[in-house]
Amino acid sequence: MKPNSKIIDTLKSTVSEIVQKQAKSLRESSYFDLRLGIGEFKSARSENGTSKEALDDYEASFGIRVIAGEISSWGFYGQSLGRKDLKPGELERLLLSGIDTAYGRAKANAKRKSEFKKIANALSEVRLAKIKVCQETIPAEFEIDPRGIPLQKILKTSMNASKQMKALDPSVQFASTTIKTAITRELFCSSEGAVIDQSLPVTQGVVYLSAQQGEASPEVGYDYVGDVRGWEVIEGKNCYNSNFLDFALERTRDTVDLAGAEFLKTTEEEVVVVTNPHYNTLLVHEIVGHPTEADRVLKMETAYAGRTWLFESQERNEIGKRIGSPLVNAFSDPTRRGYGYYTYDAEGTPAKAITVIKNGVLKTFLNGRETAAILGHEPNGSMRATAPSMVPLVRMTNTIFGPGRKNPKNIIKEVKDGYYIHNYRTPSISESREHFRISAQKVYKIENGKLVKLYRGGGIMANSKDFLMSVDAVGNDFKMFPIPTCGKGQPMQIMRVGNGGPTLRSKARLTGC
Amino acid sequence: MITIDELRASVHEALHYLKGRKEVIDAEVFASWNDLITIRINYTSDIPSNGVQEPKSLQSYGLGVLALFKRGGRREVGFGSVTNDLSIGGVSEALTKAKRNMVFDPDFKSLPDTITIPTLQRYHDNRVMEMSDQDTVDLGWKVLKGSLETFNNGGYKKTIIIGGDVTILKERVAIKSTRGVDGFDETTSLSANITAMIEKEKVKGTGWSLSTHLDSFHPEEAGREAAESAIRTIGGRRIKSGKYPVVFGNQPLADLATNVLLPSLSLASVNASNTPFLGKLGQKISSPNLHIYDDGSMKGEIGSTRITCEGLPTGRTDLVANGTLVGFLANSYFGEKLKNSLYHPLPRSGFRYTSMGRDYKVKAGISPTNVMIEGSIETTRDELIKQIKNGLYVGRIWYTYPINGLAIGDVTSTIIADSFLIRDGKIATPLTPNTIRINTNIKEVLQNIIGITQEKRSTSVWGSKVVVIAPEIAVSEVQLESIGL
Repeated sequence: MKPNSKIIDTLKSTVSEIVQKQAKSLRESSYFDLRLGIGEFKSARSENGTSKEALDDYEASFGIRVIAGEISSWGFYGQSLGRKDLKPGELERLLLSGIDTAYGRAKANAKRKSEFKKIANALSEVRLAKIKVCQETIPAEFEIDPRGIPLQKILKTSMNASKQMKALDPSVQFASTTIKTAITRELFCSSEGAVIDQSLPVTQGVVYLSAQQGEASPEVGYDYVGDVRGWEVIEGKNCYNSNFLDFALERTRDTVDLAGAEFLKTTEEEVVVVTNPHYNTLLVHEIVGHPTEADRVLKMETAYAGRTWLFESQERNEIGKRIGSPLVNAFSDPTRRGYGYYTYDAEGTPAKAITVIKNGVLKTFLNGRETAAILGHEPNGSMRATAPSMVPLVRMTNTIFGPGRKNPKNIIKEVKDGYYIHNYRTPSISESREHFRISAQKVYKIENGKLVKLYRGGGIMANSKDFLMSVDAVGNDFKMFPIPTCGKGQPMQIMRVGNGGPTLRSKARLTGC
Repeated sequence: MITIDELRASVHEALHYLKGRKEVIDAEVFASWNDLITIRINYTSDIPSNGVQEPKSLQSYGLGVLALFKRGGRREVGFGSVTNDLSIGGVSEALTKAKRNMVFDPDFKSLPDTITIPTLQRYHDNRVMEMSDQDTVDLGWKVLKGSLETFNNGGYKKTIIIGGDVTILKERVAIKSTRGVDGFDETTSLSANITAMIEKEKVKGTGWSLSTHLDSFHPEEAGREAAESAIRTIGGRRIKSGKYPVVFGNQPLADLATNVLLPSLSLASVNASNTPFLGKLGQKISSPNLHIYDDGSMKGEIGSTRITCEGLPTGRTDLVANGTLVGFLANSYFGEKLKNSLYHPLPRSGFRYTSMGRDYKVKAGISPTNVMIEGSIETTRDELIKQIKNGLYVGRIWYTYPINGLAIGDVTSTIIADSFLIRDGKIATPLTPNTIRINTNIKEVLQNIIGITQEKRSTSVWGSKVVVIAPEIAVSEVQLESIGL
């Protein structure tokens, strides 16, 4: 029998005891934590109705963070685990060795930090903001247990969808679907006494297809359903309220329509744009979620994902200032169901909802314990890692534009001359997130309040602040969607997050082909 | 640490075991041990910071079995892997998983047969394999030393940011199959990718060093280069939107290649009808001056490996010759599926890359190795700039994506550092970072190449394993949009 997440029940006391014992014996360490996780998953992929791959497996790993040394510094060690490692005796040996390595790295790092202080006076000891130390077990919540779904059922669901996608229209050149359903369980123990045992289900379906008409470039469609739930996501309990097959066929119809559409042209001037909830999912991700992550705020991501225009220094930043029209509100809430759902973050901080933008005014940033301490903010539990073996980073959670009061139909009806930007495709953002170009799956011309023509290859670009300040209508049609592929960190970590919003109306330049 | 001899013994015994299983028609065993060490750097002069933010590592070893089974009247293929176990018990568990996971894939023809003999021998650095934690941490501090001394000597002490990382990857792999594949490999790679800023001057500079050996790895130089480049771009100017001739430096060319061009030249993209070069094999797709090839057997390049993760010797795959599309990157699966009477791709690009490097946990996909971009006629950088006369030199771009999908070929990106206006055939005023967005199409970029330098530099971009041996290229008629606050 393969190892499963129940193994944490037998390992929990061993791990907790090791952490408490080592907390007393590592003389130069002020803090350390350990995450041990196991994920059970099943997945299948098919193309054009034929099976390509099926997997029924588990993944286990652990990671250790230590703060130690003269000017206290970080050290980290992470490792994958196999079946033989998940026995208490062997696990204890590996954990002790890992703690020793992380501790050694922290001390070596602290030694050099102390020497460099002469030429780099901003070097400081690591401080963590205080949190409530918790001990809790959170079971996975689902209607249909992913572990009970036969692999063959997952494969057949994938094959049926890709077969019907391919058969929908002669222009469909390629149709592929991938479905994955999983349960992850992660144990967090800290030298402060935290013992948090958290389980989460995750289920996701992906469609990827291309359609070509005549000699024109193929049109490629790519989209997902997904939620922190069980197999019910595939059967229809998702943001589309649609089973996976219907979702896949809807996306195929969209792609076929687009393959025969005219390409949009770039405009020199701003135009009125109405952006739908799916499009605003990526918009809020890129121009609110990422720029409010505190590690970017503190310039820690300068070499990778960039800085943020919201913070120049402690003295000069946008907190408390207007960055959007009074209609703009944004929240980050890991406690609500969505792809960024959890109860505790990867540092054992209780998840909580925070208001990021209130009536157009920037209120706060998403943070972890170290960044909260530097900023003098209260920790808000936004640290996550792709796997226990990787270092936690500040990540957006369910980060969303808040709903308004207007009927979205009326938002379009009021536009005499403009464009309806429907569903996101790909983003490209400036270094400090101050400017964006995000393409859409579809763009419609609006004339006298009606959608009159479909374009392909379009999108919009604008300065982020200008766009937010120009928002003059917010719909009452709030929806949240999954983004499973948010990349950050070195080595790159791919994270699931939830984003969304209502229909918005603003101004931007159109971008085309 | 697992030795190469242990991995080789494991795959040998595993294959013997698998050959004795009646239900197995063919099988391939791939075993690997990886140690990925990252020393992440973050120094901010005006915010409390750690200098070296965290020294960290990810370690993993195990084996994967890809097997063909008989089921009913057809052949089915399955994959299974085990972690931290190279024993026969582990092989048995992996086989059980492969059997549980088997599917009928009509496009799976066979496991690859061996073709030639690998050319690379003993090209890794044992000193890297055996580096202590203290020594690895020190590499990060050397970067800081290079940058900080440069800034301090220039009198720049406030609003300084130094970020990036030193990454060390140690890999050992062994593979054996019932089709005669029998290979092993050890690689070491070191990279430093550094960004340095003086925020109040709104300038950013980039420096990097890539090497397979410690002796030729220069993290301190990378730190110094980044700081020098930042200082050099003080006093930048903006430019108006319009079409400009542009010289793309090493990093922007590597970025365009990594994120747009090379994915378009993969058979996986052809299979999905998701490339702007669909149906273009044998046709002109660029300036006739351009040649592009992938070669995983170049000694001294960190993209090199002795064998692919399908056990085949690495070597050269021509992609573009004299401006004509002549090939695609292939693994065995797509090579067999998409070959025809006119085109039979050699599967030199089958790799099992994850963030850990070559990883036993996954099957071989398609990945480039070292990609050489060169011209039939090459020139110097000075001549290239003289040729442009009035335009832009772009030294670093960011967030480069095929914005309307790969098949259409539209590309967008922003210029974030290391860039200058070209006036009267000379490098003139620096360009203010973050004020220009490039909106172009990869097909147009290739067609509009008007010059290529002889001097090249091995370059890699964030999140990618590929090394682009990048010249600097001049391209006419590039659409630039003035943006920013």
